[in-house]
Amino acid sequence: MERATGFSLDDAHFEVLNAIVLKKFASAAMVADATGRPLPEVEQAMAALEADGSVMLANGQAMPTDVAEGQLAQLAAERCAALRADPGVERLHDRFEKLNRSFLQALTDWQQMPVGDRKVQNDHSDPAYDAEVISRVSQLVDRLGRICDELAATEPRFARYRERLTSAFARIDVGETDYVSSPMVDSVHNIWFEFHEDLLRTLGKEREE
Amino acid sequence: MTGGPRARYVHFLDEVDQPDAHLLGGKGAGLVRMTAQGLPIPPGVVITTEACRQFMREGGVPADLFDEVDRNIERLEHRLDRRFGGGPTPLLVSVRSGAAVSMPGMMDTILNLGLNRDAAVALAQASGSVSFMLDVLVRFHRMYAEIALGAMDEFIGDAAEEFLAGISNVESSDPGRLFDRLWRVCDEALEFDVGTTVPLDPHEQLHGAIEAVLRSWQTPRAVTYRDYHKIPHDLGTAVVVQSMVFGNLGHPSGTGVAFTRNPVTGSPTLYGEYLEGGQGEDVVAGTVDPQPINDLADRHPELFSQLQRLSNELERTHHDILDIEFTIERGDLYLLQVRSAKRTAEAAVRVAGDFVNDAEMDLAGALGSVSVDQVRQIERARFDEDAVAHARAEGQLLTTAVGASPGEVHGVLVVDADRAVERAATGESVILARPTTSPVDLHGMLASQGILTVKGGTTSHAAVVARAVGKACVVGCGAIQIDEEHHRLTCGERTLAEGDEISIDGSTGEVFLGALPITHGAASSPDLAVLLEQADAVANCSIMGRVTTVEQVQGVLERGATGVATSVGHVLTTTGDLDAVIEVFNAQRDARRPDFRVVRRLVAEQFGPLLAAARKVDVGIRTIDFLSSEAGELLQQTELLNHHPRLAVPLGIPEFVGAQIAGVGDAISAAGFPGRAYVSVRHVSDPKEASAIRDIAAESGVDGSVGVYVTSPRGALLAPELARYGDVLWVQLSQLQAAMFGLSSREYLSGEPLDDYVRRGMLTTDPRTALDETMDVMLIPLAKVVRDTDCTVGMRLSGDVSEQIVDKLYAHGFRLYAVDAAEVRPLRLALGKAAATAS
Repeated sequence: MERATGFSLDDAHFEVLNAIVLKKFASAAMVADATGRPLPEVEQAMAALEADGSVMLANGQAMPTDVAEGQLAQLAAERCAALRADPGVERLHDRFEKLNRSFLQALTDWQQMPVGDRKVQNDHSDPAYDAEVISRVSQLVDRLGRICDELAATEPRFARYRERLTSAFARIDVGETDYVSSPMVDSVHNIWFEFHEDLLRTLGKEREE
Repeated sequence: MTGGPRARYVHFLDEVDQPDAHLLGGKGAGLVRMTAQGLPIPPGVVITTEACRQFMREGGVPADLFDEVDRNIERLEHRLDRRFGGGPTPLLVSVRSGAAVSMPGMMDTILNLGLNRDAAVALAQASGSVSFMLDVLVRFHRMYAEIALGAMDEFIGDAAEEFLAGISNVESSDPGRLFDRLWRVCDEALEFDVGTTVPLDPHEQLHGAIEAVLRSWQTPRAVTYRDYHKIPHDLGTAVVVQSMVFGNLGHPSGTGVAFTRNPVTGSPTLYGEYLEGGQGEDVVAGTVDPQPINDLADRHPELFSQLQRLSNELERTHHDILDIEFTIERGDLYLLQVRSAKRTAEAAVRVAGDFVNDAEMDLAGALGSVSVDQVRQIERARFDEDAVAHARAEGQLLTTAVGASPGEVHGVLVVDADRAVERAATGESVILARPTTSPVDLHGMLASQGILTVKGGTTSHAAVVARAVGKACVVGCGAIQIDEEHHRLTCGERTLAEGDEISIDGSTGEVFLGALPITHGAASSPDLAVLLEQADAVANCSIMGRVTTVEQVQGVLERGATGVATSVGHVLTTTGDLDAVIEVFNAQRDARRPDFRVVRRLVAEQFGPLLAAARKVDVGIRTIDFLSSEAGELLQQTELLNHHPRLAVPLGIPEFVGAQIAGVGDAISAAGFPGRAYVSVRHVSDPKEASAIRDIAAESGVDGSVGVYVTSPRGALLAPELARYGDVLWVQLSQLQAAMFGLSSREYLSGEPLDDYVRRGMLTTDPRTALDETMDVMLIPLAKVVRDTDCTVGMRLSGDVSEQIVDKLYAHGFRLYAVDAAEVRPLRLALGKAAATAS
């Protein structure tokens, strides 16, 4: 991917730690995929983070230590001060929260169908129903992509979410519908959720439930 | 048709001869059919798929299309006495896409099109509500902006909301001026977003919407979908333009949704909701609380009985439960949408049973409306009802929160994902309780039977993931506090420590103290029992349910099996006697003529009670198979085979097989078993082997049936030869499929990596759920045995029964099956469906 020039190693550290905290167990390859950074750079950052005591490495998997979350929050506060001060960012966050509600509803509709006052599992036997929900998810994902672009103007790593969403949708388009909501693959729900966590940390906000 | 230029692309719904989906799209053809049936459908036109094809050829809207559309709109105005873009009664229309096949990426519906200042003022007058008119304005503007102009954000809604919040006395304001101001506010928000505005001219709006539909046929998403599903790109989409009706114009008016039967219970009464004086979107958006459908009966009995009549009529023509959206405008009832209704498994079964009893429905249609999955859902494990009632009475109900993913499960409470994994690894059933979940809890969620969260609703992370992986989940347990530090949970006065048992119901959202006992649901479903009896009657097949213990026999027979299937290896493993058998081999490692009297005695002892429990039904028994992969780990296969290499072939040690056959014979005599017991030997592929088995049985002096259990292509191809020497020939279908595909049976049986492989399209047939014609080479000689000989041929199906496989096997003529106990009922349905379709 293209990125702005002039990045220091600090950016790599931050992004790698961010990805590890989001995923909890992550191989270097997974972190490279999530951040869009080259594998050697990720491995180097992981080793440095281990030396700092923010992550533990075991069998090629990185895990955040107890201090990682706090360190990351602090790093985010320093790095993202400019972004947090941007008056437009509040509006952008509101836009996301609205979008998020529609998205979660669409995902629920993908998994379950309303029957009277109950829900039944979607057995995916009605192509018209599924096509409608996928179209809706796809529109919402396009909208999230736009929010990613706006954030990426100041925090380039957000561009990676759009790329990941695009790859997930490419799978859905060829019938791999696990990529809608399965937690076992890098599904749209997975990516969306990570984006949400990342956005909250970046802006220093708490999740609304 | 009336005079004027020849219709090229545009047809009135009531002027089409044939409801041809290829030309009119699925939606268009459905509307034409219903109009022809005399059902009250709002009048409208359909633009045929030919316009879409011409659009693709010309790279733009076909010449004269819009002229033709405008002429037809004029006719619609005359017919309805309404004006497009004016009053006193404005004509507003909906515009929808509709191909013969539905696909993602196509343009959605635009409602309320045709709104300009004059139409809006007229609408405000006709409805007596300025705020309704403004509401229609915002909805239309947003829909058009999003769908036809590709607006991406909620700017319009936000701007409109802000504007409206600043207006007091909406109803006494001048509607024309308000329309102008609000339209401008919406346009400005849109222009900021995409740099363009919504046209104010109704004809321009209509043309824009039609063009957007035609263009949406070519969106990358739709193109990819067609590529993948091999749908021709020149199929094209039709466009349906239909007049809008309003449930808030005059009296009596209203809107609602009706199901032809109750979709939750299946009871045969009209079910649904009605909102007097409401507009369709109000109900869909859930902004207002509609009343139960009986409200319509109370207010307007004649309209209710009309709806009831239409509902019955539609059910007769569709042979299905339907979901009907309707609107009443000034006393006229219109059907807006009619679809197959989503329903619970319970309702599906109940309704299919009622359809069977209804002379006008055919059995194939009735059975066809239920899936084997729905039977499984009814059979799924659930709490014993008496135990639940007792637990409630005893105050064991901890809290009632929100059911987010169905399932009734119990387990030990754990409040940390890592510890959930640890405890589950020891074989404990775990309920993971968390304040909320995030991806870091995933491993714990996967290891648990159920998930409980304090915060969050039905769309929370926990809920979405639980449903995706099929775990029971209760969310929003606000009454519960989790003390992560001390591994505790408190709810009111009570405190639970990690390791305490709890039970959760993912449908009702109830959380109970203690482990509620589990039963299986189907036993209490008389509707399912009746339906499956109908299926049995038409299928006329025998089903052996697999058991390994005496206690399981009764359960299998209750599920409707006509016999039981078992194996010496599994029975002796369960009773703990297999070690004694292995000891026989170890003790006689060097004996020239090993003594298998112990084996004979053990088999006789353990099969006596089993045969007694089977009373008089058929019992299929296969001899010990030290080669099977499931036996491998259990038996230290390699060790045994190293010392007794002859065990690697089916009849390597004939005395061992003979001892088992003789043991079964002893059990038959001892139990005075009046039924038929077959003993079969696995992995047989040669007529010489088959004849040897007959000789071994004769030597043992057994008065029973013996035969072979085929697991190889050679066995299947030589089946007619094998059948000459035996009374029974069992076939393990999964082994033949695995051999045909060159897959090891281990890979074949596990989900991954084959799931992934099939998803990636590397196999065009998934051998676990489908039989393709390559298997005919094996099935044809097997079917010949069924047709031409007295030898009994049985198909052993592994894992979940697939409707497609059963259908094929039934068509080949196979009438005897063996399945796992839980699959007996699904198989009965699948066979009934296969038989009803074939007859």
